[in-house]
Amino acid sequence: MTLQTGRSRPPVRGRRDFLKCAVGTSVAMGFLATPSARAFDRAAQTGDEAVLDVAIVGAGLAGLTTARDLHNAGCESFVVLEARDRVGGRTLNHDLGEGRVSEAGGQWIGPGQTAVADLARELQVDTFPTYYAGKTVFLSGRGRLAVDLDGSFGTDERIAAMLSALARGVPSGAPWQAVDAVALDKSSVGDWLAREAIKPEERIGWDITIALSGGTTPARMGLLHFLSMINSANSDYSQLDSIKHSAQETRFVGGSQILSIRMAQQLQANVMLSCPVRRIADWDRDVVTVHTDRGLIRSRQVVMAIHPALCNQIEFSPSLPDKRVELQRRWPAYSPARKTCMVYSKPFWRAKDLNGQILQAGGPVLWAYDNSPPDAGVGVINSFIEQAAVPADIDAAKHVLAAIYAQALGDEALRPLQYQDQDWGRCDPWTLSCVSAIPPGFWTTYGEALRPACGKLIWSGTETADIWAGYMDGAVRAGHRAALQALNALRTAA
Amino acid sequence: MSRRAWLALCSIVVLTIAAIATPPLREYVYFERSLASAEEEAQANAGNWPRLSDSCTNCHGRNGDSVNQAYADLASQPAHYVAAQLHAFAEGRRNSPFMTPLASSLSDAEIQRVSEYFSRQPATDNDAFVPDPVSRARGETLASGCVACHGERLMGDGTRPRLAGQGYDYLIAQMGAFADNTRRDPSGAMNTLAASLSTDDRRALSAYVASYPVMKRDGVR
Repeated sequence: MTLQTGRSRPPVRGRRDFLKCAVGTSVAMGFLATPSARAFDRAAQTGDEAVLDVAIVGAGLAGLTTARDLHNAGCESFVVLEARDRVGGRTLNHDLGEGRVSEAGGQWIGPGQTAVADLARELQVDTFPTYYAGKTVFLSGRGRLAVDLDGSFGTDERIAAMLSALARGVPSGAPWQAVDAVALDKSSVGDWLAREAIKPEERIGWDITIALSGGTTPARMGLLHFLSMINSANSDYSQLDSIKHSAQETRFVGGSQILSIRMAQQLQANVMLSCPVRRIADWDRDVVTVHTDRGLIRSRQVVMAIHPALCNQIEFSPSLPDKRVELQRRWPAYSPARKTCMVYSKPFWRAKDLNGQILQAGGPVLWAYDNSPPDAGVGVINSFIEQAAVPADIDAAKHVLAAIYAQALGDEALRPLQYQDQDWGRCDPWTLSCVSAIPPGFWTTYGEALRPACGKLIWSGTETADIWAGYMDGAVRAGHRAALQALNALRTAA
Repeated sequence: MSRRAWLALCSIVVLTIAAIATPPLREYVYFERSLASAEEEAQANAGNWPRLSDSCTNCHGRNGDSVNQAYADLASQPAHYVAAQLHAFAEGRRNSPFMTPLASSLSDAEIQRVSEYFSRQPATDNDAFVPDPVSRARGETLASGCVACHGERLMGDGTRPRLAGQGYDYLIAQMGAFADNTRRDPSGAMNTLAASLSTDDRRALSAYVASYPVMKRDGVR
């Protein structure tokens, strides 16, 4: 990508002018462009006139949505500070060549995820359905079973209906406010399922589905949190954990990261890449100082569009309120999915009436699925795997997984064209975790500290969303809300 | 028995044999058996479902046996050592963005239970790691200081961890953390030792230790 040279930026005017501010920080940044020293110097210069209206920490879906909303509202006095050398946060496209991609991070949307769907339409990003026609293969040891589940994971409908009914009383954005929150928060999902006497053969299914949706095993997944996730899915369990008419139903043409790439391009905002924030001072005063590896930024509001556990790695001066400190310190960040991508010359399994999905009891594959591009010009099997059960070495990992795919789908699986592997806990220090595996007792103890602003710090990121927290849709919702909060705070302070 | 009944019985026998010989059915039988025996073994080893120790599997491997050099082996680690580390994570004496919140969410009883579980699991040789022979030989000359604390067979004891067969990249990372004091050994010994070694020597020592055969339960190497 090329660095587009922006118009020269006049010093940011007083905050009273921001709503009619037509220019402001207008250094146009191309995606992946390293910001010029001149651009950064302008944003990082000292002196009263250099105070920005808003500094946004994190150029994922939430942070860029906030930036885009500020821009659309006429506020140009902002900067987006991104630690990585790219935008997109937990969305990332693997380039397969010839214009095709496979998603290495968050990738699906489904019913009720209207915020991210609307954003995609506005950015002219098309969608296409996840492929699930045919039989899903279950593996255990040498054993194999192929079943057509019609876009579901074959969950016991009685249990699903009971969870859905319970979820109606647990608000997705504030589970700690459920009438029976304290009682529900004492249990893990596993405890609850055990009390419902699920059959032994169903345990492995719950182990895998809770790991995929919740980021941990049933023993450590808080029931209250899991119910809040189902509440996001219109209190219908099948809309959370299936494919057909569910949260894994739809994909983006060009891969999910394209949303962030388009926003960064379209915004021409001052997106500072490779610019980790280390310290934030004076958040309780009129002007906050943000210390980055590339200099100081001074702003009137700061939007923290990053994971709470990443907030915990930033030094705040003065210290944050005790409850917020504990929320960040204890926020579960131990679900760094390892996601792999095996590419074949074509999706050969489709001709065998297989949908490419593999569920393997005993691992290392948690779930493999057909992630071929919309033209099916190549065949792609993506999989979530147990990171410790497969060597980190790429060639060794490829061979281990190809053998498993061959057992499930046929010997054609032994001849992949390429293999890609993303262990999110180890690829960089700026992700830590995929979804948040909120344990029992967490929400009723620390939940109230999740969203209230601390001085000039506005908490954003998908974890703060009212609906679909933890999902791409939640990130967009949190981004919109943070922009409104920032604009209102600036207006009332003016 | 009438001739018709004999024919019917023979047909059933032939069809059954044919079905068992058919790959899909055979695979299904294997599948059922494998699931049942895995559940039986897990129950005997780790207790009733849902199992707390399952939460450690993704990063530390099945039964604490990781084949990924970046992740710590927990199998056969002394229970005191695992418990001490979990308490250190929970209380901020050892820092990890992953382990701190996880350990903080566990009760003392859960820490005890999971530590004892991993101490019971058999360790396996780290066959997935192939050391550079020169580096390993150099490591061997440096390893004489390890046995005093970690045992002659490097299997650990008390609050000292098993090193034999541990993940190579994990060992390098921990040696680095001791060297720059981002991980503190309560006695200070590991900090002093690691800081006295060059980066290459830390790699060599890690290569030697990672490829060192584990001592099996019967005491045989």
